Amino acid sequence: MVVSNKSAMGIIFPNSFDALIPEMANVRLMASIPFASRYRMIDFVLSSMSNCDIDNVAVLPNRKYHSLMDHLGSGREWDLVRKNGGLSIFPPYAESAKAMNTGRVGQIAGILGFLKEQKEKYVVMADSNIAINIDFKAMIATHIASGADVTIAYNEQAVPESFVKSDNVNKDFYYSLTIDGGKVKKIYVNPTDGGVQNLSLNIFVIARELLIELVEVAFMRGQVHFTRDILLNQVNHLNIQAYKFDGYVARIWGINSYFEENMKLLDDYNLDALFAGGPIYTKIRDDNPTRYIAGSKAANVMVADGCVIEGEVENSILFRGVKIAKGAKVKNCILMQDTVVDAGANIEYLIADKDVTISAGKEMKGTDSYPVYIAKGVTV
Amino acid sequence: MAKEMIAMLLAGGQGSRLYALTQKLAKPAVPFGGKYRIIDFPLSNCVNSGIDTVGILTQYQPFVLNEYIGNGQPWDLDRLNGGVHVLPPYQKASGSDWYKGTANAIYQNIAFIERYDPQYVIILSGDQICKQDYSDFLRFHKEKGAEFSVAVMEVPWDEASRFGLMVTDETDRITEFQEKPKNPKSNLASMGIYIFNWDILRKYLIEDEEDPNSENDFGNNIIPNLLRDNRKMYAYHFSGYWKDVGTIPSLWEANMEVLDPEHSGINLFDEDWKIYSRNSGMSGHKIAPGAVVENSMITDGCRVKGTVKNSILYAGVTVEEGALIEEAVVMGGSVIKAGAVVKHCIVAENAVVGENAVVGAMPTETEKGVATIGPGIVVGDNAVVGPNAMVDKNVEGGEERW
Repeated sequence: MVVSNKSAMGIIFPNSFDALIPEMANVRLMASIPFASRYRMIDFVLSSMSNCDIDNVAVLPNRKYHSLMDHLGSGREWDLVRKNGGLSIFPPYAESAKAMNTGRVGQIAGILGFLKEQKEKYVVMADSNIAINIDFKAMIATHIASGADVTIAYNEQAVPESFVKSDNVNKDFYYSLTIDGGKVKKIYVNPTDGGVQNLSLNIFVIARELLIELVEVAFMRGQVHFTRDILLNQVNHLNIQAYKFDGYVARIWGINSYFEENMKLLDDYNLDALFAGGPIYTKIRDDNPTRYIAGSKAANVMVADGCVIEGEVENSILFRGVKIAKGAKVKNCILMQDTVVDAGANIEYLIADKDVTISAGKEMKGTDSYPVYIAKGVTV
Repeated sequence: MAKEMIAMLLAGGQGSRLYALTQKLAKPAVPFGGKYRIIDFPLSNCVNSGIDTVGILTQYQPFVLNEYIGNGQPWDLDRLNGGVHVLPPYQKASGSDWYKGTANAIYQNIAFIERYDPQYVIILSGDQICKQDYSDFLRFHKEKGAEFSVAVMEVPWDEASRFGLMVTDETDRITEFQEKPKNPKSNLASMGIYIFNWDILRKYLIEDEEDPNSENDFGNNIIPNLLRDNRKMYAYHFSGYWKDVGTIPSLWEANMEVLDPEHSGINLFDEDWKIYSRNSGMSGHKIAPGAVVENSMITDGCRVKGTVKNSILYAGVTVEEGALIEEAVVMGGSVIKAGAVVKHCIVAENAVVGENAVVGAMPTETEKGVATIGPGIVVGDNAVVGPNAMVDKNVEGGEERW
């Protein structure tokens, strides 16, 4: 598609909310955190875009993006290798200190030249801390029909109590909305109210020309955040519409919610809800099917290809290439790619990052409210 | 740009002995081993052996195969120069012809081969499960100064008369070729995999085409003609896993061997010799609380609530509560409903086995049949399908099919 009044391009901010999950974002960014047995967080929003004919997608990382570059490659798995458009990754220029800042304003300002050259009428912006299978076509159609300047997607969800109570100073912002007849009347930054709120998904539809105009002005004024500094200030000047998303949302608030959101997918109802829209694509590893060897036991597990299971595994999520040796017991665990649990080891409530080895006979247990996290490549 | 060796893959086989499985599917496209199709093996062998140009000769039910191959990207065969090309018979100024035989299929594509100006051409078969390093085969061919080499397997003497046999001298030079002889002089069976010097192959293909009495077949015509002319022909000994999966029992058996790589030698977990395939793209499989999985292979997208023993479930298979699957090969997208019993059989893609239906039976002394349910077939609730049944039409609820 070269020129169209309906077409949209995508922008994804893969580093947003890194600070919420420092354990895992230590070696990567939010977008490349493994999720749901064979995916990375970015796969969901990126596949949603691809499934909705958004085939010109800019990804704007600002740090620790090697794992993301490796994961995305040329974008082929998401059908985003195109002569016109396709996947473009814009790492920051090393000399440009301003591009390093985490706000969307600075990041978009860094690609203004690119944005101005594009042909699409609309831009869809999203983070990657949310696993979601969203119909962007419907959202864009609603945006056009409402005549809005900006449309914000939201869901009805409570902010976790632990999150509200904790010190938020170093964390990224989240926003709730007061809505009147579809129009956003007020935007709250880091609301501390309990209970269900209209929580922004930080997914926006906006005309490309308007986005360029708003960002140019904001950047000159030294503003940082798109929602806090632009939308919140102009909530009465811009026509900001709210778009309620009723589908399944897995939002990562931290290591505990990471654990919970994975475990929730053991319930087929939730898994089917998340995958109900278009297919979710990810990097192909060409693993063979998973092998359950005689004497193994498995109950209530989600397991990707390439695993070899000789021991016992229960209530767990296994990513590709996990090996559980004879006599090992795995319960309530998330084991990422190529984790090895040696003979007789016994683990519970554990999140093992990639390439972790639990040595033979070792015992290690967390609790449901405090799962133990083991960093990438560590041998216990 | 000249290539040292290109591959020509014979994939036109109808696979008529696979009956229901190949009514709408070329044999090389038949699913295998949980997430593969037969053709993944020769294609992966090619790319793992450094061959980047492959012509696939098709003519029977090509749609699934063509779509599956696509641009060859899953096998890393989407190349600027070379890559994978599907070669069906085509219309020429002088008329058009189906591929009359294996040699004629290559003959009709001489122009394709010449585009790459190769020194050697390897002829591969699209209906075998085999992990083989063709670069080692080429090394042998060059070391012997051969004009033609054939890969051979040692087979038990009492089975030798079922095969095409190569009689060789102590230097592995072929002195005689026996096609399914009553009195075998050798136990070296041809695997149907050949390396030719291209100039020699070209010459013999043209000569063979001019012979109106020829069947245009490698085994029956080209190889005897090479022998007649005393060409330098050598037999390359291969000792790895090789299986012709041309029949239902052999296809079932090869699948079961995947479950036991330590003994069978077909190791799909080999990181150094990966078998590539087009991926289903489904999420991880689920084993529900109360489900039982013993000695089985389960692929992405499966949902298991029943019992699965000594079986292979391909991508996206559903096994409902109380269903029992034993020694079965259940291909992609099939649904085994609650209480169904599925044993010692092959269930093809997207089939449905109804509630409390029975398909197949464990083998006995006298009865060793592998029941087969064709693709998309619906077996009704409480129906019974006997161990020798070949089901290519829906079975009504309660009906019996033997």
